[in-house]
This record gives sequence, C-alpha cells and structure tokens, in this order.
Amino acid sequence: MTISIWRYSHLLLAVSSSLLLVLASVTGIILAFEPVLEKQQPYRPADFEQITLADALPVLKKSFPDISELSVDHNQFVVTKASDEEGKNLTAYIDPKTGNVLGKPSGQSEFFQTVTTLHRSLFYHEAGRFLMGLTAFLLFLIAVSGTILIIQRQRGLKRFFTRIVKENSAQYYHVTLGRLSLIIILIIALTGTYLSVIRFELLPTKVLSPDVDPDAIRTKPALSLSDLPVFKNTRLADVQTIAFPFSEDAEDYYTLKLNDREITVNQVTGDILTESLYPTALVVSQLSLNLHTGRTNTVWALILAIASANILFFIYSGFAITLKRRGKRVKNQYTADESRFIILVGSENGSTYRFAQLVHQQLVQRGEKAWLAELNSYRTYPKAEHLIILTSTYGLGDAPTNAAKFESLLATVSQPNPLRYSVVGFGSTAYPDFCKFAFDIHNRLEQQPRATPLVDVHTVNDKSLAEFSLWTKAWAQQAGIPIEVATETLTLDPATLDTLQVTAHSAADANDDTFLIRLKTTSAVPVTSGDLLAIYPAGDHRERLYSIGVLGDAIQLSVRLHPGGLGSGFLHRLTTGETIRARIVSNPHFHFPVNTPAVVMISNGTGIAPFLGMISQNIAQTPCYLYCGFRNQASLDLYQPFLDQQLATQRLDTLSVALSREGEKQYVSDLITRDHTLIGRVLAEGGVLMLCGSLAMQKDVLAILDTISQARTGQAVSYYQSRNQIRTDCY
Amino acid sequence: MAAICRIFVLMLGLLLVKPATSSAQTTKYKCMIQMTNYMGEGAYMVISIIDPKGKYDKTLYVLGSDKKWYPDIKEWHKAFAKKPANISAITGASVAGGDRTVSIIDIDNAKVNAGYKLRFESAVEDKKYYVNDLEIPLTTESLAAKSEGTGYIRYVRFSANN
Repeated sequence: MTISIWRYSHLLLAVSSSLLLVLASVTGIILAFEPVLEKQQPYRPADFEQITLADALPVLKKSFPDISELSVDHNQFVVTKASDEEGKNLTAYIDPKTGNVLGKPSGQSEFFQTVTTLHRSLFYHEAGRFLMGLTAFLLFLIAVSGTILIIQRQRGLKRFFTRIVKENSAQYYHVTLGRLSLIIILIIALTGTYLSVIRFELLPTKVLSPDVDPDAIRTKPALSLSDLPVFKNTRLADVQTIAFPFSEDAEDYYTLKLNDREITVNQVTGDILTESLYPTALVVSQLSLNLHTGRTNTVWALILAIASANILFFIYSGFAITLKRRGKRVKNQYTADESRFIILVGSENGSTYRFAQLVHQQLVQRGEKAWLAELNSYRTYPKAEHLIILTSTYGLGDAPTNAAKFESLLATVSQPNPLRYSVVGFGSTAYPDFCKFAFDIHNRLEQQPRATPLVDVHTVNDKSLAEFSLWTKAWAQQAGIPIEVATETLTLDPATLDTLQVTAHSAADANDDTFLIRLKTTSAVPVTSGDLLAIYPAGDHRERLYSIGVLGDAIQLSVRLHPGGLGSGFLHRLTTGETIRARIVSNPHFHFPVNTPAVVMISNGTGIAPFLGMISQNIAQTPCYLYCGFRNQASLDLYQPFLDQQLATQRLDTLSVALSREGEKQYVSDLITRDHTLIGRVLAEGGVLMLCGSLAMQKDVLAILDTISQARTGQAVSYYQSRNQIRTDCY
Repeated sequence: MAAICRIFVLMLGLLLVKPATSSAQTTKYKCMIQMTNYMGEGAYMVISIIDPKGKYDKTLYVLGSDKKWYPDIKEWHKAFAKKPANISAITGASVAGGDRTVSIIDIDNAKVNAGYKLRFESAVEDKKYYVNDLEIPLTTESLAAKSEGTGYIRYVRFSANN
C-alpha cells in the first residue's frame, strides 16, 4: 500500500504546483541563456587566477587616481568605479594588468530583468516570492517522491539504473528521463528553496563587521601599495569587492569583501584592522545562487536549461499518464448482485483495464449481465457463475495496489454459488517475476471449495493481443459464449485458414474412446509441438483447439471422443485422405525449452499429444522424464510402441505410467509424490516442468509441486510458474 | 534649403556649447554614502537639491537603475514625473545594507551657502520609505563634515574632486 501513498503524493504535489512550475521552467530555460550570453563578452582578463592585488592595485591607482571601488563579478570581469578625465562618474570593465578600459557594463537587459522578476516573484513582490519559493519546495518534494517511486519500481536502490521496460512511451520517458535529471532537479529545487528562505531572512546572512578602532590605526611603518603583505597574498580571484579609502588619511581604510570573509586594511601599513568570516548561511546562499543560476559556468547553465525543459516534459507526460489512468475508470450497467459474470481487475497503472473492458463489453453486448470491478472490492456475488480475473504483478511478484487486499478477502468471503473461474496474468517477461501474482491467485482459488477453474491460467506478455486472444478462445470455448478480442471479427475468414489433409486415423479405442489423427499441411506453415490447431467443425465462428504434437512432417492430435462432442465428433468422422480447413495458432510458451538441464513432462489422458512430438524431436537428448496417467492399459497401448522406441533412442529417459482404473489405481500426481526428490532437483537446477491434460490433474499436481518446492527451496510454486519453469497447457 | 540646413547646424552647435558654459560654475564632489546593516534588498536612493521654498530644484544622483522602482521614492518621483529630466548620466547601482558607495556629484557654486538643502531620500522594496533619510543645509561647512543618516544611511562624507 505504501506505493500508492507515494504515487498519490507525487501526483497531488504535481497538480498543485504545475502552473507555477510551468512558468518557472519556461522562464528558467530563458534565464539559463543569460550567463551563456554574458560569457561571450571578452572582458575576462588573461591569467586571471594568477593576478594578486599587489599586482593590480598600483596599476589601477595610477590609471584611476580617484578609484572608489573595484568588484569582480561572477564572470570574473573586473569592474571599477572611478571618474574620468572630466571628473564624471566612470564605471567600466578594465584590464587589471594594464589599467585599460575594456568596456562599459550595460546592466541587465530589460528583457532578462523582466524574465528574472517573473521567475522570482511573478511581479507580485513578497507574495510572489513566497509562492515561487513554495513551488521550489514542492518541486523538491516531487523529486523525492519520484525517487522513491523509481526505487520501488526498480525493486531496490541497487537496481536504480537498470533497464526500464518500455510499455508506453509517456511512462517510459517519464521514468527514464526522471532518473537522469533527478540530481539536477533536486539541486534546482533545493537551491531555489534556500534562496527564498534567505530572502525571507529566516537565516542570518548579515556580515557583522566590527567597528574599526580609530586609536589603533598606526601610521608607521609606511609601505608602498605593492608591498602590503595582505595584498601580496590575496588574488583577484578571491575578491568580490574592494572599497578604496575615501581619502589618503590613515583613518580611511580599504574594505575587502573576499569570497569567505570581510577584512579592513590600513592603507598605510597594510595592517589588518578587522576581519569577519561570513556566516555559513551566507556562503551557502552564494553557492546556491551560483548553482541555481549557472552564472559561473556556461556548461552548468546549459545543463540547467535542459533540466528545466525536462520538468516541462514531466508535467506533460505525468498528466498524460494520469489522464490515461483516469480514462480507464469502470462503468457498470448492472449491479454486482444481479450479474452472472464477475470480472475483477488488478492493475497498477490501469493498462490491464483495457483488456477487462473489452471482455466486459463483449459480454454485455451478448446480453449477459456482467460486473467489472477491482480485485480489492471482492465480496459475495449472489447470482454469479463465472469469475474472470485479469491482473498484473507489481514489484517482486506482489499484488498491484488495487488487488492487495484480495488474498485476505478470499479467505473471509464465501460465495453462495459455485464459481467457475479463469485467471489471466499480464506482465512483461523482461521482469523476473512474470505474472507471479496471477499464478498465486489461480493457485489460491484452486484451494477454494466452491471454485473450479474453467480454463488454465493464461499469461499475456507486453499486452500482446495475440496472447490475449488465446485466452479468449479457450474461455469462450469452455463457457460457450463467443467473445473475441477487438482485432478479430466473429465471422470466419477462409482466407486465413490452412488446408490440412488427414494422413492417418486410428479407430476409436474400444475401452477409452481415444484416437489419434495425423494431418499434413499442404503449404509450408511453421508448426512446433505445443502449438494449437484451431478447427471449425460447423464452418461457423465456433472454434475448437487441440494441442499439436509434431511427428516427422505430420501434425498428430490425440483426441477423446465425447458423446455429441462438436470437435471430437467432427475429427472422429474424418477419413484418411480427406482435407479440412484449420488454423495453426502459435503457442510459444508451451514449446520444448532450449538450453535447459532437464525436462519433466506430466500429462493425463490425451494431454500426452504435444509431448509425443517434443520427445521425438529431442535429438539433443536433453534429460527428459515423462509421467503420464491413463484410465487403463488399453489407452496406453495406443502410445506404447512409440514410447518404447523413444526410450531405446534415449530421447526419453524414463517413462512412468499411472493407471487410474486398473492395477494400483494410481493418479499421475501419486507418481510425482513418489519422485519428489527428482522433481525438486529439476526445479532447483533450473529445469522445466510441463503439464498438459485436465485442469483437475493440474490442480492436484500443482498442490504437490508447491509442497515440494516449499520444502526444497522455500519458494511457492508460483515462483517457478512466473519464471517459466513450470509451464501448463490444461483444459 | 541650404539656408535651413545652415540654421539647423547653427542651432545644434548652440545646443552643444551651452552645457559647457554652464558647467563652468559648478564644482564636483566625491560623495561617499555608508549604509547601515539593514536586512533586505538594495536601497534605491536619490540625492537632490531642495530650493529655499522646499521644492525640488535639481536631481544630483540616482542610486538604482531600474525605473520600475522609482515610484517607491515617492516625493521625488512625484516631482520628477512633472518635470522629466535625462538622468542616465547620473544614475548608478542601488546599494545593499552594510555597503558603501562613492558617487560624483556636480553642485552649482551659486547654490552653496544660499539657503538650499541637500536631500538624501531612500526606499527599499517592501520596507519603509524615508523622504528625509538625510537632509543637510548646502553649505561649505556641511560639505566638509560627516553627516549621520536617519534611515538606511549610516553617514555621508564629501570631498571636493579636483
């Protein structure tokens, strides 16, 4: 929950200060060019750093006998105040080594003067200065809350500068540029605040110069100007201003404001009469002014300009992100009490809402009563039959803010009706904990007595519509309600289908109603074991999906004939040589893994289909263990010869079979419990477990896997699911 | 046409010569203003000659170059607004607390010891305005002494500039 506090404050601060921040940034960019332009002027003496007062003062005194003041500005231009030959006031840039007049200060241009006032006080004097100071302080708070958000987003300070996944451009650049200009913005904000604090005299910056005691002024020994020790030891670079003695009388003295102190010097003997160090607040204030304005360094001034431009971009992108998030607010037509379909969303920045609304719209359009809400609002739903959960994952596999309470609610809220649920995880595989929270929810729901999964948990990487459509297809098929993602139309487009020819067909097994069918594509379509074949048995929008095993150049499906089944009946009636129109749907998440130490395949019934193809293509002889469950020996007979052959060629290492209605009457999950040492080792080594078969089998196996992994590594099974080490394709 | 041109040039010449003749009766003084250690922005100040009737006679020097703040020096601004004069040659920078500044002012010899006064008027942004931060009789004596101010000015000293 802490994340949202920081996000809300970040937003609240930004909203409250945005207008003034825009103004301050725009004027700030303009003002950054003032020092850049100033420094173009050729008034800075050569070897400035080496010139001492003992070098410069005699020269100046000679050129300007009535010189009253000398100052060194932030550009290290030397300005003197004296009078010219006609006795008129003369203020000029001079060369301290020759005493030549280089030019006359033109003063701040009218334009920059106006912009400065606007930047500093909005032309509203004290009130304006206070507002701008407050704005600077708010900017500081925004930068701090932004830093904390980045740390949370990047999961730790150490990973502050690791890669950011580009999900949408406003957000990506907001975060990326934010990291880069963070320090500079912090400096701008802090110095700006400090300058305001100083302006309102909240800190003591006055130099309290002690009075000179006239009786202590000596007149001997008289030294010449170039011999005064204090002037020999002081460089022009250390000087801010020098006030010359008003007359040649010894009781008039030099007053030198240096960078860190103020001293008064006897003009005859060079004695230091008084010396007072500047208060820290004043030194910091001068440093703040230099840092805030960039007046001492062209490069820094330009960096400040870029940072100011960044602030403008942050305001734009920040509001773009917020508006996008707001736009995803839920609009329900029906109440939660009357709805048959409950769609719950877990989303940190709102992008998952887009998908949820798609589903919601489709259901409502089909005349169904559907309710869309966030996961945190989970409660009892009197008329609900279906629960659809779409959720992203935040941080290290944690719940997004609006789903953080869901798991505790799940434990306390009980539903009056049995619910059939389906979970879709959204995320990016660029992060290690891909969709972990979705897996967690799915596994938790499986433990609920009145909830049964309708389809397997699905994941969507980088908002892929293709992956989302895999879920909609699977869900639509099971729920019997055709919903589609927006990119597709409900009518069947024959042009997108491939033609496949039946090359072999086994008659339905007498005991188990299971049969194998082999098909060959007539064109070169890329296909891999684990992909899905979508068939259209009635030639309309109704679609049925089957897991593909690739054997040689043929596609093999393993099908169980359901009485009256639309898809299985259609496939069963096919004869060798017949052609059908179908489509191969790529399902990369269930492909045989590459470069993995070991693969464990777990199936029941016809779920063995994709594994047959994978094993036959395991030429690299990756250690491969198959656990499969069947009802009886007869169903196994269909695969036995093929599997024996794979064992002989070492493409398969072990084969473990559980028969549920014969012999020991085991389930495949019993085999997993038996071999927990092997399974645990494979997981710990980074190997992959693949599950294909019924959702009931998946539920039992995942529960056992959870026990095994908790005992072995202390991680929940969802940890491995999110790392693609446990891959499921169940129905 | 040529005649008009000639007249024009002649008039221009007269205009240029005139100030030179009048300046013959003035004396330049160095005027040093030492400020008190007040907190706040740089002070805007005006040095003026006040005639025996108490009216502004002449502006000698303006410390502070941004016209935006001139209305803050209220009395002088009132008079100045009625009788605009070119002051760019007698304008310097504003002066911060604790600092001192030296300006060169031109004083008409005829006005010394003739009942005129020297007025130092000061204003600081968002702080008090002093119409008479310092007002001294324009006499030979006061031009040789050190005079204490009542507002932002601690003291003022003069010396003839020659």
